[in-house]
Amino acid sequence: MKTIQKLLFTTAISGFLFSCDSNDDPLPIVELEATLVEDLAAPNDVIDRTTGEVTEERPFQFFSLEQNALVSENEDWDLAFKGTTIRVNSSKNVSAAVVNGIFEEITEVPANATFATDTETSFAIPTGSGSGWYNYNPATFTVTPIPGRVILVQTTAGNYSKIEILSYYKGNPPADQINPMTTPSAHYTFRYVLRPDGTTNL
Amino acid sequence: MFRINLIKITAIFLLIPHLVFGAFQEGEKIILDEKGNPIPFALVKVDGQKPLSVDENGQVDSPSKGDRVVIFALGYETQQLTWEEWLASEKIILLEKSGNLQEVVVAATRTERSVEDLPMPVTVLNTEKIQETGGMRLSEILREQTGLQIASDHGAGLQMQGLDSDYILILLDGEPLIGRTAGTFDLDRISVSNIERIEILRGPSSALYGSEAMAGVVNIITKNNSGQRKADIALRHRSFNSWNPSLELGTGGEKWDANVFLDHFQTEGFDLTPETIGQTQNPYKATTAQVKINGKLAPKWDLSLFARGYSETSDGLMQIGGAANPELLELDNTRRDLNLNPTLRIKPNEKWLFTLRGMSSWFSTNSNTQFQSSGEVFDLQDFQQFYHRTELQTDYQIRANQLLTLGLGQLIETVEATRYDDLNRFDAGYFFLQHQWDPGQRVNVVSGLRADFHSQYGNRLSPKVSGQYKISEKFSWQASIGAGFKAPDFRQLLLNFNNAASGYNVFGATLAQEGIARLQEQGLVAQILFDPSTLGDLKAETSWAFNTGFRWKASERANLQVNAFRNAIDNLIETAPIAQLNTGQNAFSYFNVRSVITQGVEVDASFQVLENLSLSAGYAFLDTRDLDVVDRIENGEVFKRNSQNQTRRVTLEDYGGLFNRSRHSGNFKINYQELNTGIDWALRVIYRGKFGFADRNGNLILDDESEYADGWVSVNLTASKTLSNGIFFEAGGTNLLNTATPAQPNNPGRVLFLGVKIPVLNLIN
Repeated sequence: MKTIQKLLFTTAISGFLFSCDSNDDPLPIVELEATLVEDLAAPNDVIDRTTGEVTEERPFQFFSLEQNALVSENEDWDLAFKGTTIRVNSSKNVSAAVVNGIFEEITEVPANATFATDTETSFAIPTGSGSGWYNYNPATFTVTPIPGRVILVQTTAGNYSKIEILSYYKGNPPADQINPMTTPSAHYTFRYVLRPDGTTNL
Repeated sequence: MFRINLIKITAIFLLIPHLVFGAFQEGEKIILDEKGNPIPFALVKVDGQKPLSVDENGQVDSPSKGDRVVIFALGYETQQLTWEEWLASEKIILLEKSGNLQEVVVAATRTERSVEDLPMPVTVLNTEKIQETGGMRLSEILREQTGLQIASDHGAGLQMQGLDSDYILILLDGEPLIGRTAGTFDLDRISVSNIERIEILRGPSSALYGSEAMAGVVNIITKNNSGQRKADIALRHRSFNSWNPSLELGTGGEKWDANVFLDHFQTEGFDLTPETIGQTQNPYKATTAQVKINGKLAPKWDLSLFARGYSETSDGLMQIGGAANPELLELDNTRRDLNLNPTLRIKPNEKWLFTLRGMSSWFSTNSNTQFQSSGEVFDLQDFQQFYHRTELQTDYQIRANQLLTLGLGQLIETVEATRYDDLNRFDAGYFFLQHQWDPGQRVNVVSGLRADFHSQYGNRLSPKVSGQYKISEKFSWQASIGAGFKAPDFRQLLLNFNNAASGYNVFGATLAQEGIARLQEQGLVAQILFDPSTLGDLKAETSWAFNTGFRWKASERANLQVNAFRNAIDNLIETAPIAQLNTGQNAFSYFNVRSVITQGVEVDASFQVLENLSLSAGYAFLDTRDLDVVDRIENGEVFKRNSQNQTRRVTLEDYGGLFNRSRHSGNFKINYQELNTGIDWALRVIYRGKFGFADRNGNLILDDESEYADGWVSVNLTASKTLSNGIFFEAGGTNLLNTATPAQPNNPGRVLFLGVKIPVLNLIN
């Protein structure tokens, strides 16, 4: 996995939103950098096609948004990846919400976003085609991130972050260049913005 | 004049010409067609009196006096004679009506009516039209017709008025054919060689036929030799080492006739993607056998027996396991089909006809997949379906201009399959009423209502009203409004499928509660997404449709037909997750969720340029949309990605409607008979406009240029000649430009064919 900080994302908080505020000091324009994470490999368990039994269990890959790095399970991880499943760190009170919108346009945590953490019986980021972050296309056998799905995460440090998953295939290919037979899958490319001050602006 | 003609079982009693001439007597007149064959059951009207019936030999006794004589016959131009002309002629020759307007249609009303009298859009393909395509399987005939497409999805499925095969009822000699895979009725199961004509009825006909007849009905009518002795053998060969031998036998006497038909088809298949293992179409062999017996039990009692058997085997290879660990799988599939239809017709008098039909069908598929290396079984699937229907149809001629039809039926359907629990059975009953009425010379109305009572999904009422107004002899306008429905099928109700490999389950609606309860007991359920008590209430998919158009006979040589339609379909059934499993996967079931609109216009024009040269052209415009998708786009909830994986909102302009629908399609046909050689040439150019092929940008809807497959043109040419001794030769090719694309897996590229048909008994005699 390699990470590059190449996308700049500008959050311009326009003054009129706060014009009723008695404080007339101009608010500083905060530039938040979008971090691009490329090809985070999180292979799924090996399953015997005839019996459905797991023949080889693979580990989750634990990722810290605060550190922008893979970490071990006992460290402060925020998200864990395996196959198409994404867990959040419920033991450290990490919670997540899935919203619809354009990444750049989501400049604060929407009031109606319902944050949840993983429980014994449910995932904060729902699994399955169409319900969480991806669509599975049975005609082309490909898994593609649902365009416009943005995952909001409150991290171990209590900061808000927005995440857009761009690809499930190695090298972040355009969806029409994926060959489900040959392009390695379970390689996440995503970008995220982390608001380090605990506010809901993104 | 009688435009509604009840009960003409003409086919059985057509006699051969030489008998007729032998029996000709002084004082009688005979009504003939242009070829000199007698026209049975024509009507002769002298002045204002009650019409005289022409007998089955085309003969009629001349009345002693009169002034003006008018002669009518179905399918022929009406002729008017003065008394002097009538007296002077022994033979009266009627001209056949041009175009296909005179063709008799059974499927539209379950009684015999000609196209021009039907207030709904109907197309009839006669033997010549079928023959000129050079086709061997039914899909190859239908793909050349305006507004019809063949889609490749678990077989060659028909698409009509923008609706899939699931919503089109296929009838064989008026009886429904069963056996669908994932909703598709595979038209390649039907051999063409013994088809006499095909009736294509567009728009919903659930008011007559119940479930499945939502987009329309295709009725395949097989040949009946009317008691003539016949032994025809035929052999056809074409590209991909395909062979099609067939045999037709016919015999009969005064009171009975019998037809036997045997057909074998085999092909090596073809491959559009040679870089991957496994062919696009696997090699297969298909054999059809059919027996048809008609007999007159008593003067007013007719019995017919129909039996057909079909058997198909195919084999192929498939690779799984990816590039790292490839494993070859061998596929062996068989498909069998058996139909048995006895029919009894009783006609006590001119006003009544009772038709009692029994119909039983068995359909089975078996697919066996095993590892090539070890011979170990990878997957074994078995499917067996049985369908039985008993129906009594009563036709009552209230007056000369009113015909009432009442149908009463009961059906049983069972299915037993690897993916279903136990043996499952459906029971249903139904009745239908139809009233055909000509209130005036210019107007006719057909109204109908059908009620279905079903053990699984409840009751349905399907009404339909159609009307025609003849503005002039040359121009008539039609309009109809009707309801269609499709019952949930076995799969949607009863499937119990566990995909072990990826750990998900699919339950038919009636099994969903029970299935979830079982998974919960086993501790496999992470979260319930739907209140289980709301599951299981799956309703039929329903539609309302409007069709309107006109038929214009611009001249003796030119015809134009136009039909515009709109289908509004609700309660379309889709799968949706009902529970999250511990594996992270979901359990699914079926729900009535979607609403879809399909609308368009279809135009057919024909022009007889010369005696031996005719042109025709067809065009279809089609517009489809999923209303739920439209709502979501309007609410700004649908997004798309470009090739740099950047996201933006989808607009309504981006949205291309349903996949696999061509907005534009059409055809142009030239038929030419070369006079010196007597060779008939049929050139057809078939155009299918671009269509949505697959989602490429992840939002599962059609909204991007990259998601379309290119339009294509198929140039097809057939040359045929019938020698004076009856031997028939044909040669030709389809898709001569050799355009092939993986987006159309049912198009193999250029196909060349050769064929011969020999009427053995004719030659001996």
